[in-house]
Amino acid sequence: MIRSPLALVLLAMGLAACTPQDPQQRTSAALADGVLLPAYKAWHESSQQLAESSKAFCAGSQDLGAAQQAFLTDVASWAALQPLQVGPLAEGNRAWQVQFWPDKKNLVQRQVENLLKKKPQLSQADVEKASVVVQGLTAYEYILFDAGIDLSDATQKSRYCPLLTAIGEHQQRLSAEVLGQWQAEDGMTAQLKEFPNTRYAEAPEAVAELLRAQVNAIDGLKKKLGAALGRQSKGQPQPYQAEFWRSNASLASLAASLASAERLWLGANEDGVRSLLNDGQKELAGRIDQQYAVTRQQLATLQRPLGELLADETGRAELTAFYDNLNLVHRLQGGELAKVLGIQLGFNAHDGD
Amino acid sequence: MKRRAFLGLSGLALAAGAFGGWKLIDHGPQPLLLSARDDADGHHYAVGYRLDGSKAFATRVAERCHDVVPHPTLPLAVFVGRRPSRESYLVDTRDGRLLQTLASPADRHFYGHGVFHQDGEWFYSTENDTRDAGRGVLGVYRLQGERLQRVAENSTHGIGPHQLLWMPGGEELVVANGGIRTEADSRVMMNLDAMEPSLVLMRRDGTLISKEQLPQQMNSVRHLAVAADGTVVSGQQYEGDPQDAVPLLAIKRPGQPFQPFPLGEAQRMAMHQYTASLAIHDELRLLGLTAPRGNRFFIWDLDSAALLLDAPLPDCAGVGAVADGFVVTSGQGRCRLYDCRGEKIAVRPLELPAGLWDNHLRLA
Repeated sequence: MIRSPLALVLLAMGLAACTPQDPQQRTSAALADGVLLPAYKAWHESSQQLAESSKAFCAGSQDLGAAQQAFLTDVASWAALQPLQVGPLAEGNRAWQVQFWPDKKNLVQRQVENLLKKKPQLSQADVEKASVVVQGLTAYEYILFDAGIDLSDATQKSRYCPLLTAIGEHQQRLSAEVLGQWQAEDGMTAQLKEFPNTRYAEAPEAVAELLRAQVNAIDGLKKKLGAALGRQSKGQPQPYQAEFWRSNASLASLAASLASAERLWLGANEDGVRSLLNDGQKELAGRIDQQYAVTRQQLATLQRPLGELLADETGRAELTAFYDNLNLVHRLQGGELAKVLGIQLGFNAHDGD
Repeated sequence: MKRRAFLGLSGLALAAGAFGGWKLIDHGPQPLLLSARDDADGHHYAVGYRLDGSKAFATRVAERCHDVVPHPTLPLAVFVGRRPSRESYLVDTRDGRLLQTLASPADRHFYGHGVFHQDGEWFYSTENDTRDAGRGVLGVYRLQGERLQRVAENSTHGIGPHQLLWMPGGEELVVANGGIRTEADSRVMMNLDAMEPSLVLMRRDGTLISKEQLPQQMNSVRHLAVAADGTVVSGQQYEGDPQDAVPLLAIKRPGQPFQPFPLGEAQRMAMHQYTASLAIHDELRLLGLTAPRGNRFFIWDLDSAALLLDAPLPDCAGVGAVADGFVVTSGQGRCRLYDCRGEKIAVRPLELPAGLWDNHLRLA
């Protein structure tokens, strides 16, 4: 049993606490209140709705279409958290409990089927103890969308429903736990607003972590798209390596993540990372604005689902062009912006020894 | 200028050789923190700072360094080139003067770690024999005046050696053979399907005492800490699947086999299959570990293996024991002092420059 929370106190230090006028503190605080906390609340709400939907669907009071819609809504709010993964969600293996990607060996199908074979009378506790592979949205998606499962068949529905409702419950609990840690006194929101605290010695550390989370997430979007495009497999498209391929939600998820990254850049009230650039740096700010716009607009023109786009040359060319734009967002934010702001992104973590 | 430096140091070396009560290093009350560091433009430095934030020196060097090896008695330290560097730097820690750029032979490169023998005359470093890529070599150097001279080499009895440290008594070495083959001028891993990591105990004349392995072939044994009672702890970096559960910390207590350190599942997962620097606090019997990919710093009770601290620290890098507890540097944020004397561990940011600190630190 791990002693938790572990004892850590902050020593009164010879540092002057930041003044409210400090731009880094202002930005961190504004993003905490205006972008991050609302996104975590939205995720918790959609996770609650997912849990309710799973129960209603399994009780026969909701149809499959509505259940699938509740899932897609939760996927979108989860995707919006990708560039905002600082604090509790980035810790304790929690993100894996929401989404299992990459799933190169189709572990989701194997583990769901094995679990149901072993535990036909599946309980909530069984799922809480089980691997992260079966606890999250990827397993939920498998049940609701996989071509091999026919939920209109009563036997199949009763076979999968205990797991479906248990995942819904797990997601609701997990999101409640994370949101609780954001809202607690001295919790994550507070730690992004008042410095020093036990997490951040000063505001620039918090801003650096926000930028790092955002840049890592954009890199993650590139990896997700790149895996499907076959960039790691000699150009051979890998549609089943895409995230949320069963529900055709890959591009919608990408769009939600990208929009959230842009919100972190702009802020809710023009008080995001962008506001840290001075007049002499407005040219860079303009280029980043422009690159977000181009990338966002291009994504909007991709009308077909990812699987279809991967299947023909025109589609692959469109996706590659989108990938290149995403790459430019990544380079502008992770390269030029980080340098101008004097932020180190993973000096040791990325290039360790 | 060169000649004066030479004379000055020969004098010191002579005095050290004579021993007899010379107090050669007087750093005052504040220990000197030695580390490799970069600036924002990517230039590399060998630096020394007092813990109160005052800079002793920052000497620009051509290649990025990794660990630092202070001389046991003289105000000297070797900043060891990070793999696949073929340069290390002998620096005067009083003022940062670069005394020697130590070159490896053409078919060897440094792995970033070394040790001075307790008599101060011999320096040993882990090296790669690039003619037989990955074959582990223990380079043997002799300190003569202001210069280190390579005089011999031995095998490390393994592949891709990384950190090495002295066992208590200072005559036997423990070596972390990472098990990964890389070529000259390259960091590309050539043998992920056939890695051979091992923990080796050997005498400094090269004789093998023992060689032990963990079961997971892709679990690279990289970094070490040795307690005064001879307990060895190793930190691993796992090259296999991100989801595999493997021992990222292992321990060899005196007289016992090399085995996994009982690590909590939450901590193991938080490390993202990657550990960086370890330090043991001998008086308090504590183990500190940085995990920069997980952005976390950990402290355990060395004897009971109880977890005492699991704290966020962005891109945490080097860790070293000081009287109060541990000093930890960061590639990204402020350096911290974790005061472990009280019932609760207390953290205090240090007045050192923030960020760009490389993986290891030494306190001299």
